[in-house]
Amino acid sequence: MTAALELPPELTIYTVGELHAPWRAWLAALRESSTATADVHAAAVEELDAAGLQLLVALFNGAAQAQVALRLVDASRALLAGCEALGLTPLLGVARDTEGAAA
Amino acid sequence: MSTSAQDTSFIAEALPAFISEANEQIEQLEQLLLQLEDAPGDRELLDALFRCAHTVKGSAGIFGLDRVVAFTHHVETLLDRLRDGALQLTPELSTLLLQSNDQIRALVAAAGGALDDTDEALRVREALVQRLQAASGAGPAGPDVAHAATAIAAPAAGDAGRRWHLSARFGADTFRNGMDPLAIVNYVRGLGSIPRIVCDASAVPPLDAIDPESCHLAFEFGLDTPATRDEIEAAFSFVRDDCALHLIAPGASARDFAALIDAMPDNPRLGDILVAVGAITRVQLNEALQRQAALSDAGAAAPLGEILQARSGVSPQVVDAALQKQKQKKQRDAGASAPGEDNRFIRVQADRLDAVINLLGELVIASAGASMLARQARQGSLIEANQQIGSLVEEIRNGTLQLRMVPIGETFSRFRRVVRDTAAELGKDVLLLVVGAETELDKSVVERIADPLMHLVRNGLDHGLETPAERVAAGKPAQGRLTLSACHESGSILIRIVDDGRGIDRDKVLARAWERGLVEPGTVPPDADILKLIFEPGFSTAEKVTNLSGRGVGMDVVRRNIEALRGSVTIASEAGQGSCIEIRLPLTLAIIDGFLIGVGASKFIFPLDAVVEVIENRPTATALDARGRSIVELRGQTLPVVSLRALYGLDGPEPERCSVVVIKSGAQRYGVRVDTLLGQHQTVIKPLGRMFRSLRGMSGSSILGNGEVALIFDANSLGELAAAAPRGAHQRVGETS
Repeated sequence: MTAALELPPELTIYTVGELHAPWRAWLAALRESSTATADVHAAAVEELDAAGLQLLVALFNGAAQAQVALRLVDASRALLAGCEALGLTPLLGVARDTEGAAA
Repeated sequence: MSTSAQDTSFIAEALPAFISEANEQIEQLEQLLLQLEDAPGDRELLDALFRCAHTVKGSAGIFGLDRVVAFTHHVETLLDRLRDGALQLTPELSTLLLQSNDQIRALVAAAGGALDDTDEALRVREALVQRLQAASGAGPAGPDVAHAATAIAAPAAGDAGRRWHLSARFGADTFRNGMDPLAIVNYVRGLGSIPRIVCDASAVPPLDAIDPESCHLAFEFGLDTPATRDEIEAAFSFVRDDCALHLIAPGASARDFAALIDAMPDNPRLGDILVAVGAITRVQLNEALQRQAALSDAGAAAPLGEILQARSGVSPQVVDAALQKQKQKKQRDAGASAPGEDNRFIRVQADRLDAVINLLGELVIASAGASMLARQARQGSLIEANQQIGSLVEEIRNGTLQLRMVPIGETFSRFRRVVRDTAAELGKDVLLLVVGAETELDKSVVERIADPLMHLVRNGLDHGLETPAERVAAGKPAQGRLTLSACHESGSILIRIVDDGRGIDRDKVLARAWERGLVEPGTVPPDADILKLIFEPGFSTAEKVTNLSGRGVGMDVVRRNIEALRGSVTIASEAGQGSCIEIRLPLTLAIIDGFLIGVGASKFIFPLDAVVEVIENRPTATALDARGRSIVELRGQTLPVVSLRALYGLDGPEPERCSVVVIKSGAQRYGVRVDTLLGQHQTVIKPLGRMFRSLRGMSGSSILGNGEVALIFDANSLGELAAAAPRGAHQRVGETS
């Protein structure tokens, strides 16, 4: 199975430009290997803005198109807060687990 | 959300600019408030006021200056009620607003220094907030916005927890314009609470197709808040041009959502989203969709919105009106530039400008040197080329010095507030007139003249103008008049502060001077000199030391400050009628047009603006008195003439023929006898060093093209020197009197 995608600490307008290509490559690799599910590790995310969240949505949209189910794992507090604020919780399947649950 | 290191340094760099611009808005606010007192119903003033407060609040929000935002919000609310006509402006309300503006000013200033509140400051602020809220709430509850569109039901005022529906589609350039929808949504959440928010994820392209820096985000959400429509819309003011925003007021029905859907025909999933967010029920949506399907089967495809409309009978006018209002609002926000027309100006750092002017001074000197060498070389083409350079340098000089000029009106406007408050405090009725506000002077002069002027104005209010009762008893109109005027005159700027008050009591002044030993007790100096005594240190005839003046530390400091600017101050007064204080200041501190003359081996310069004419080739036979003075007849009038040679004790034989330069100083003219006339000269003023501070009649020095130093005369003080009482046959001019 393809390695999980690690989300960087900063997921903002300043970094989305650089993240675009590696994420596309990762998604392409998933398509190639006909993987059905993959993990996205989100524990490191500290800084977040709408641009970063948008890219995440685009990632999930692209995966859905390629019929790959993505799973957001270990979402950091910042990511959870951002998703909730913009109503993205259902799409990203972000759940409050016992670990890393926002206070 | 924590700020990254990038953000912090950006904020640190940008904060001074914010503070400076916020201060401009705050100044504008004060001026508008004062204007509003005279025209309480003026809609344009009220709109402009609201915009100012709004701009300050918005910018402060970007920098996370929560205290500024929170406080300004209350002011904004009150201004909003005023401009809606829900409140009328009263004097108390006006004072409250002015005080609140002061508080905003203080908060903005504190933001620069990140000071913590003292208990006192906090108490003062909270008291203001309470008064603001009381004043806002005191207005009659009524429909929120009385405009054409009423498809959207208006909420009653004062109810908490009314649920609005917001539809926000952020434009593609939102990120590029520096806006963050996440921050905006969070800010809106701060106005109340968002029970549910849905993002239209289908509007976001998949990863391969997306441009990460373009914004494709759209949200539908409910908002429980007591805030008004304008307050909610205000949260989006910085993205207004780019964002399609729709607000549906609380108490709306499905038809209202029809209008919404209709307004966004290219959003097929809107219905689903509205259901998801709880705005309409699935049942209602399905009914509408079925209807649409039926129609399209019959060949008449109608947009979902129309169907919903037709079924529930909402008139198309109402929907049109709603869309119109939206368009108007967009236009208004786009067209409303910040008052003060910022887009016509460029912000320049003052010290950079000073550096350019310094270089310009050097350029003038260098160009003069080159011209001189060209003349010595006697090469026609070279001389001509240098002349051209010289005239270009002169033009650049004029243009550059112009850059530093600001109209004095800005300073005068600040006094309106002072006069208003002070007059009220003293129980006096005063009308402030400003004449010549467009008169320009150098920015650094403006900055340094503001305090002395303020003191003189306060003095006039305190001592000069009488209370209404006193004035009426004296046969004057109850309202006193204070006039601030400014104009250009012979190379200087003339500022006058005129009041029609009680004037200066000469006897009192004399008595105090005797008391203080400033004048030999019993002697009575000439009238003009009595008035000048007021400027002596420690002098004050006020029996009561008020808060404002009377401590006797004022007038001499005022005169010193003015003289430090190479200016002069005089006072004229008539008992019972009023006083007139005249301040004369040089127009520029750096470069002037000069007239070069020679006496013996020395060279001197007169400011060209002070030179009226030149009488050439007079025989020196005219007798001079012991002080080197004589008289010349000029077109039937006598002109006093002073010989520079005698006045300054210059050596060297006198030529057979000399010239007389006619100088004007104020309303007077006098002549100065010189040996040679050397013509016009661009003069770069270099200040005289400390050693020469006591040199009378001079205001500076200049370096000529050949490296020689020429001293620059000051027309006024030279005239005074020439007219001064004799102290002894061989008085050297360098000694102080």
